Amino acid sequence: MAQHKVNYTQSGGLPVALTSIDKIVNWGRSNSIWALTYGLACCGIEMMASGASRYDFDRFGTIFRASPRQADVMIVAGTLTKKHAEFIKRLYDQMTEPRWVISMGSCANTGGMFNTYATVQGVDRVIPVDLYLPGCAPRPETLQYGVMLLQQKIRANKASRAQVAKRLM
Amino acid sequence: MAQIKNRLTPFFENITFDREDNEMILNFGPQHPSAHGQLRLILHLQQEEIVKAHPDIGYLHRGMEKMAENMIYNEFMPTTDRMDYIASSSNNYGFALAVEKLIGLEVPRRAKVIRMMLLEINRLMSHLFWLATTALDIGAMTIFLFAFREREYLMDILEGYCGARLTHAAIRIGGVPLDIQDSFITQLRVFLDKLPQNIKDYEDLLDSNRIWLMRMEEVGVISKEMALSWGCTGPMLRASGVKWDIRKEEPYELYDEVEFNVPWSDKGDNFARYRMYMEEMRESAKILYQTITMYQKCVKDGQTELMAHSPKYISAPKLDIMTQNYSLMQHFVLVTQGMRPPVGEVYIPTESPKGELGFYINSQGGPYPYRLKLRTPSFWHTGILTDLLPGHYIPDVVSIIGTTNIVFGEVDR
Amino acid sequence: MRVYKPKDNVQKKAYYSDRFFISPQVPKFDVESDEVFAKDLEAIKAKFEVKEAYIQVEQMVVFINPEDNFKVLELLKNDLEYTQLSEMSAIDWLADKQGFEIFYQMLSMNKRKRLRIKMFIKNGEAVNSVEKLFRSADWSEREMFDMFGIEANNHPFMKRILMPYDWKGHPLLKTYPLEGDEFAAWYEVDKIFGKEARDIIGPELRDTAKVDRYDSDRFVRLGHEVPKGTTITGNEPKVEQNYQEEDGVFLVKKLNKKDSVIVTDPQR
Repeated sequence: MAQHKVNYTQSGGLPVALTSIDKIVNWGRSNSIWALTYGLACCGIEMMASGASRYDFDRFGTIFRASPRQADVMIVAGTLTKKHAEFIKRLYDQMTEPRWVISMGSCANTGGMFNTYATVQGVDRVIPVDLYLPGCAPRPETLQYGVMLLQQKIRANKASRAQVAKRLM
Repeated sequence: MAQIKNRLTPFFENITFDREDNEMILNFGPQHPSAHGQLRLILHLQQEEIVKAHPDIGYLHRGMEKMAENMIYNEFMPTTDRMDYIASSSNNYGFALAVEKLIGLEVPRRAKVIRMMLLEINRLMSHLFWLATTALDIGAMTIFLFAFREREYLMDILEGYCGARLTHAAIRIGGVPLDIQDSFITQLRVFLDKLPQNIKDYEDLLDSNRIWLMRMEEVGVISKEMALSWGCTGPMLRASGVKWDIRKEEPYELYDEVEFNVPWSDKGDNFARYRMYMEEMRESAKILYQTITMYQKCVKDGQTELMAHSPKYISAPKLDIMTQNYSLMQHFVLVTQGMRPPVGEVYIPTESPKGELGFYINSQGGPYPYRLKLRTPSFWHTGILTDLLPGHYIPDVVSIIGTTNIVFGEVDR
Repeated sequence: MRVYKPKDNVQKKAYYSDRFFISPQVPKFDVESDEVFAKDLEAIKAKFEVKEAYIQVEQMVVFINPEDNFKVLELLKNDLEYTQLSEMSAIDWLADKQGFEIFYQMLSMNKRKRLRIKMFIKNGEAVNSVEKLFRSADWSEREMFDMFGIEANNHPFMKRILMPYDWKGHPLLKTYPLEGDEFAAWYEVDKIFGKEARDIIGPELRDTAKVDRYDSDRFVRLGHEVPKGTTITGNEPKVEQNYQEEDGVFLVKKLNKKDSVIVTDPQR
């Protein structure tokens, strides 16, 4: 665990900054990734732990929202079963664009150890996924690293151009 | 924004109004932040009052019983972790004990003490997690942060022991794989010494809190008959006036050697259950102090064995495998083909943090169980919502689900 | 010629069994050896036909006729203080005996005893529901119906509980493969996108041992990351992990690891 010193008023040269629209939009998007609480199974507990005291997700602007309409990223934490599959699709469709999906843990990536009749073999069969996190269950550090990678991905986008909707089919 | 094409017809909307008798049907879940997982409730409402509740489960059904029929016994051990993932070791233990009873093994004393430590740490973790999430559902964010802080310390200790935070697989059939690490007891002592003050902090915040009392007291009353009839166990049953703790009544491991009380209440409401969890945390701490003494006595007496000696079923210690030919052969057979327990069946209950966790194993002498039934407490604690919720109001649903302490890995298996 | 594989039990089988290996038995004891159980068995025997009874691993097992199940459980509950039905389910014996074995696991808190009532039903027969005696049987019987297809008479809501209502097949039957049948494999695709999407989405990858030759290139190597497309030698130097781009990020200062304090004692 590490403590970092951050001086917010000094760091970026506030209060006056000149920049492009791209940068400011991406700055806003990448630093306020609101996540949909999608705790399905064990990984959901680690997702809660990363939101709780020690790992404190709020530092990165990641706040868990219970409504898909307010969320930017869906962290699919846990096993997706065939019975549940239609609901994840429904909730994904309800999210506003731009939207991203993090598939957290082996079960969400590939079905993991549950190679059975009742488990969807990877959420990417149902919704498009941006980031796969390995582990069973991934540690909160992994999730934090994943969110940082997602921030990089968002910053690489052209914000001025309308985003093409990701499609499975 | 264009929606991705799909076939999902809007067959169920969240709320249906068009009933003549003014009855409203409300769909709750399956992905609701305070449903503790994937519980879907279909509630029939008259105004704000629930007249009929229909819990719909199975959204986390992963086919564990089927997996068990296709796995050798040791292979199934990590799968049990994912049942009650708040307290994984208690599932490992339940399964290990059932197989040990099936093949008639006696576990060395030192392993038993370590197992008891793991079990009680898991109980503490589970209860702290319960407190955190229930308090969060009711709106007490502070308690959530406090309880998670304590839980992380326990996770550090367990991580030092088995390397995993959540899914431990820390118990093997026939004993435990490792001795506890050097810092285990020091860390545990530091934690236990602070625990009473921590519990007192939670109680100071909650016990006299008007909102907490209003959401908890006289809400969700389960009568004794109802609890027995629905197969409730653990804190749910003890809060309804039945003093039944498997650790006390049918002692396994060394629970007959430690002193602890079984808290119980005859109120049966949410508040009684909340008190039950708080008192059980204190009792767990008491047991942990005693296990530390027992462990130190084991070290003093020179009991170093951690796995039972039974060449037919359990691999020999690593040193023997590396040096003796027969042990290596036996190990190879046990790993590739698996152990073949005797023909017979066994049902072994253990007291997991949620209640009675039982494993029914039917063995036909093969390396795979012929049938393995997981008796998980949460399954019936969810079922009782059918009878419990009618007569309550919508806000009570959240607090009742909270105090039943259900985990969906266990309910759906 | 293909090796014939029996279809009545498609579960995993031991690939090697010693022909001369005779499996030992878990010891069964006479019921007379335990006073409490002996009395209980007497009470059951007085009214019902008991096919077999013994004690195994400290619990009594009683075999009864399937049509008596409600009355036996009523007797146990009302007269013999077995107040809780801990568990009930079935065992599939279709391949060997053309039927199911159903067990009721009972608990008496006053006597501190556990007892198992077992009965055998033929394939296609239904059992009497004990839901009126023990509410817990409500869900257990639904689960049994879901998993085995055994129906319970007089049950108020005999529907699937764990699988979706439109599911086909009963998963815990020995004839049902672990990885599911054709219907199970395409269930979510058919339901969400329709059958015509099967070709686009493709079949499930069920082979856990399958290795894609691109996987090793694309797999994330924490701390040893390489750009996409480069050949991997295995001796990549450790890459300093950067959470930001090289030229920094707008308004956010780049992290300087030297300024960080590593906390060693989390309980400080």
